[in-house]
Order: sequence, then structure tokens, then C-alpha cells
Amino acid sequence: MIDAIAEKVRAGERLGFDDGVALFRHPDVVAVGQLANEVRERLHGDRTYFNRNMRIEVTNVCVASCLFCSFAKLEEGAPGAHTMRVEEAWAELEARMDDPPSEIHIVNGLHPGLPFSYYEELLAGFKRIKPDIHMKCFTAVEIHFFAQHYGMTVREVLERLRRAGLDSLPGGGAEIFHPEVRSRISHDKADADEWLEVHRVAHGLGMRTNATMLYGHIETFEHRVDHLLRLRALQDETKGLQAFIPLAFHPDGNGMRNLPAPTAIDALRTVAVSRLLLDQVPHVKAYWVSMTPEVAQIALRFGADDIDGTIVHETIYKAAGSRSPAGLTSDQLVRLIQEAGRVPVERDTLYRVVREHPRAALPEAAVKVRERKAAKHLEVLS
Amino acid sequence: MSTLVDRAIGDAGLAEVLAARRAGTLGDTEAARLRRADLLALGALADRVRAEEVGDEVIVDTHAGEEEPAGGAGGGHSADGPIVLPPPGRELTGLELLREVAVARVLGPRAARVRVDWTRCGLELAQVALGFGASELAGRIADKRGLPLAEGQTLGVLGKKSRLEPADLVKRRELEGFVRRAGRTPRFDDASESTAAATTPEEATP
Repeated sequence: MIDAIAEKVRAGERLGFDDGVALFRHPDVVAVGQLANEVRERLHGDRTYFNRNMRIEVTNVCVASCLFCSFAKLEEGAPGAHTMRVEEAWAELEARMDDPPSEIHIVNGLHPGLPFSYYEELLAGFKRIKPDIHMKCFTAVEIHFFAQHYGMTVREVLERLRRAGLDSLPGGGAEIFHPEVRSRISHDKADADEWLEVHRVAHGLGMRTNATMLYGHIETFEHRVDHLLRLRALQDETKGLQAFIPLAFHPDGNGMRNLPAPTAIDALRTVAVSRLLLDQVPHVKAYWVSMTPEVAQIALRFGADDIDGTIVHETIYKAAGSRSPAGLTSDQLVRLIQEAGRVPVERDTLYRVVREHPRAALPEAAVKVRERKAAKHLEVLS
Repeated sequence: MSTLVDRAIGDAGLAEVLAARRAGTLGDTEAARLRRADLLALGALADRVRAEEVGDEVIVDTHAGEEEPAGGAGGGHSADGPIVLPPPGRELTGLELLREVAVARVLGPRAARVRVDWTRCGLELAQVALGFGASELAGRIADKRGLPLAEGQTLGVLGKKSRLEPADLVKRRELEGFVRRAGRTPRFDDASESTAAATTPEEATP
């Protein structure tokens, strides 16, 4: 079966639903990885991207009750609930202006009590501090919520946020599109069509977006392939997706805590199959927060060409029990990529090259110095 | 095995290494070629050697740690004992570990016991190593913080919150799942206590 799929891939033929399921079910994950690596190297050679970004979650108050979420609190004042004042959010960037990120990535809960002007003010304030900062903010689920909650169309929401400083949308909130799964794990937020429509509108406005898939919980391989093919259809239509990011389910502290987390093999297989099915999406990310830096490094040989960014302070996966560090320095990312035999390329959010690093590993002495500095940050699996 | 894998092995110049391995004529030339090879091609070769020589079974030793032999060159290894990776006293990155496992499988003795110590590299990487020639997993069963399980400790059964089972039994089941999801057949070193039947390696499960 995999030989027939390999022939299709090499001939430039598009893979179908059955091919995707067969790849997920194929017992030899290294063979699937090899095929994905061929495609990855055809598209990007050894170049492997990362950026200097910063995650901020300004509120975890959320009206949705997704089973997989360990981050959200249902109401303000509940234990662990927090909502930043805009000045507190801006201070996070101001504190990093000696080595500033090129991108701020904001994802929040669906807070029912904030005025829309809060978000506009939030964006505008970041731009005042650093006018060239790229604001990649609010998932399609948030944008859909804003439209419903504040009585606007999706287009109006996006246009107003753009005027305030929004540059692109992250890929979160996609979870699993198929209603058999979505209705069970996240029934009270944007459905698949609504999620896709937000991205369609954003692309129509000239914005770039990313897409994700939360895998490894109650879904089947068929659901994963269905999800990927819906994204592929959107990309055929708009060409607006920049990167696909598979997100591993983490079970701690949420409504599916009795499920085991997906394993490293599943993570590598999902990266590989995604690369093979999403033939028109330029980049596939090995999001190190989700899969740990160690497995992300291996994923760079299984189809991924991007390892995401420095992050600095991630809380969503932390709340779900991720053992990854909260942030990595750009030196650590460069080294992870070099150790994988790839060429590190620092990019901006739109994949414009900021700096290309050498392929060779750092000199041994420099590595040791950096290792000592990084030791307290670079946790690896226990 | 597929043509895809054959081609990957051939393209990496490893077909001769495989032939030499089968003929028992591996020499320095093949060893040098092996160490320079692309990681996935090397993994494919090692996995093929593993399949031919030891089959799909994975020995899982949950009592390892006290009696392991001291490390030799390239890994902890005594004459009839396992080649243990990561080698004692050496820290390896994930990619280095996979390469070492594959090299040990191809350059080691025929049907060698290539064992990965999950307490030193983590279960995630140990699972990936099963695709790169490893045939054994070893380590102590511990809780999430790496601490030994207390005698009599119980844990909830997946999907049945009210049902408690001995913690070591639950952990063993998780280990079996790890091996199965790598497409292999688990066998505990104390097989009579195994908690689940072996699964077919033909198909992965989500």
C-alpha cells in the first residue's frame, strides 16, 4: 500500500481520503516519515524555520466548556481565573524591549464581560510600544465569538481589529472538525464551518492565517483525515494558510483526564501524514510546546520544517500537564535545529527571512557555556 | 517490507551494508558508511535487521536498574547481556540516541538484545527507538514525578473513575499501549503477570 502512495507522491498526484487513513494505519512509522521527509526536502531542503515570538494569554475566563481544556475558568472570580488589565499585557512586551520579539501571539478564553474596545485598545497599545511588532492574535473561535457577542459580522470584527493593529490569525480552535467528535468535546463554540468561514474571510481581506488539529483523544484516524482534507479544500480556495500545526492532546486537569496522552510515535506519524496530505500548505510545524523539544527535533526528519518560536511564557499546555519548558531562547532553538542536521532560519511571522544561521553545530566550548546557561530552562522528558 | 524502504536503504548506499550484515562480513568500510548515513535510512536498515533477526516482540523489563552491567564501548553490554542505551555515563540528544540504537542493531552481534533505558531518555524517545532497531525496553515503573510507586498504591482505571486498581498494574498497561502503538508486540520479563494479550503489529491505533 505505501509503495502505491509513494508512487503518487513522487508523481505529484494528490492523495485521497483512503491514502491518508492507510498512512495513519501503516505499521512502519519510519517509512511514512521517509516519504514525508522527501516532500519536506523537496519544498524546503534543509531549511528549518523559527521565530522570536511571545505568547500572552490575557484572560482565561471562558464561556465555552471544552472537555480537553485545562486553561479556561468559567467565570471571573473563580479560583485561578485571571484577566489582565491592558497595561499589564503591554508591560510584558515593555519588559522585553532589550531583546524584543518580532511577533506577539495572543490566545484567550471567550470572556463574556469585556467590551470590544478592550481588544482594540490591547492591540493598539502593543503597536504604540513597537510599531513593527506583528500581532498574531485571536483564534477563529474568538473571532466568531466576538461577532456573535458584540453583534457584528465576522468581516466587521476583523476589519475593526485590523485597524487597531491585528496582522494575522493563529490556527487554534480547530480541534477536530468532524461533528461526531466536535459535538462531544467542544459543543458550545464555533463549529467546523464557522471556523473555516472566519479563515476564509480573513484570507479575503489579505490576512494570512495558520491552522491546527488537536489529536490523540477520542477521534479516529478517519476523523483526522477528514479534518486535514477540509483544511486542504480551504487552501485550494484561498491559498491563505501559511502553516499547519498538529497539537497533541494533554490530559492533565481537564474533562478527558482519564485518557492517555498520544505517544511520540503518534506525534511523528501525525506530522508526517499532515505533510503528505496538505500538499498546498507551505509549512508544517513541530510545535515544541506540544510535543517536547526532543520529539520536535526528531519531527524535523518526519516532515516538519518549522519548530515555532521562543514563546517565552506559554500557559495553556502547561495547565494540561505539558513537561516542555515555558520558553526557549533563540540560541537553544538554533541548536535544536542544527543538531537535527538542518539549517536554522529565523523568520518573521510571514516567513520572510530575518537571518540564516550556519548548518554546522556550534563549537564545543560555546555549546558547553550555553548548556550551563540553559540547563535550568531546557527540561527534557523524565 | 516495502519498495519504499528498499529504495531508501539503497539511496543511502546501505544495501551493501545489509548484504554484509546478512553474510556476517561487516567491516570498517560498512561501519563508516553506516555512521555517515541519513538517520531515517539508517533507522530503516536497523529496523529491517531487527525484524529479520529478533522479530516483532519487545521485551519489557520493569525491574531493571539494579543488575545492569557496566557500560562498554557504545553501550552497556556484557557477552550475553543487552546492549543498553543510552550508554551509562553519557548524555545523548534524542537524535543521537536513535542513531546509537540503530548502529548497535546493525553492528552488534546477531540477534543482539538492544535495550533502551526509559528512565534515562524518557518513554517517548524509548518508544521511537523501537522503530530504529531496539528490541527491549527497561526501567522502573514510577509515578509522574519519577518516584517509585508505593506498595499498595492504587490508581483510577481509564474511563472508570470509580474503579481503582494496583498502580503498577495500571502503569504496565500503559507500557503495553506504548509498545502496541509502535506496531510491536509487548512481552513483560515476567510474562505470566502480563495484563493484556499481545496485539497485532500490522496496524497502528489512534
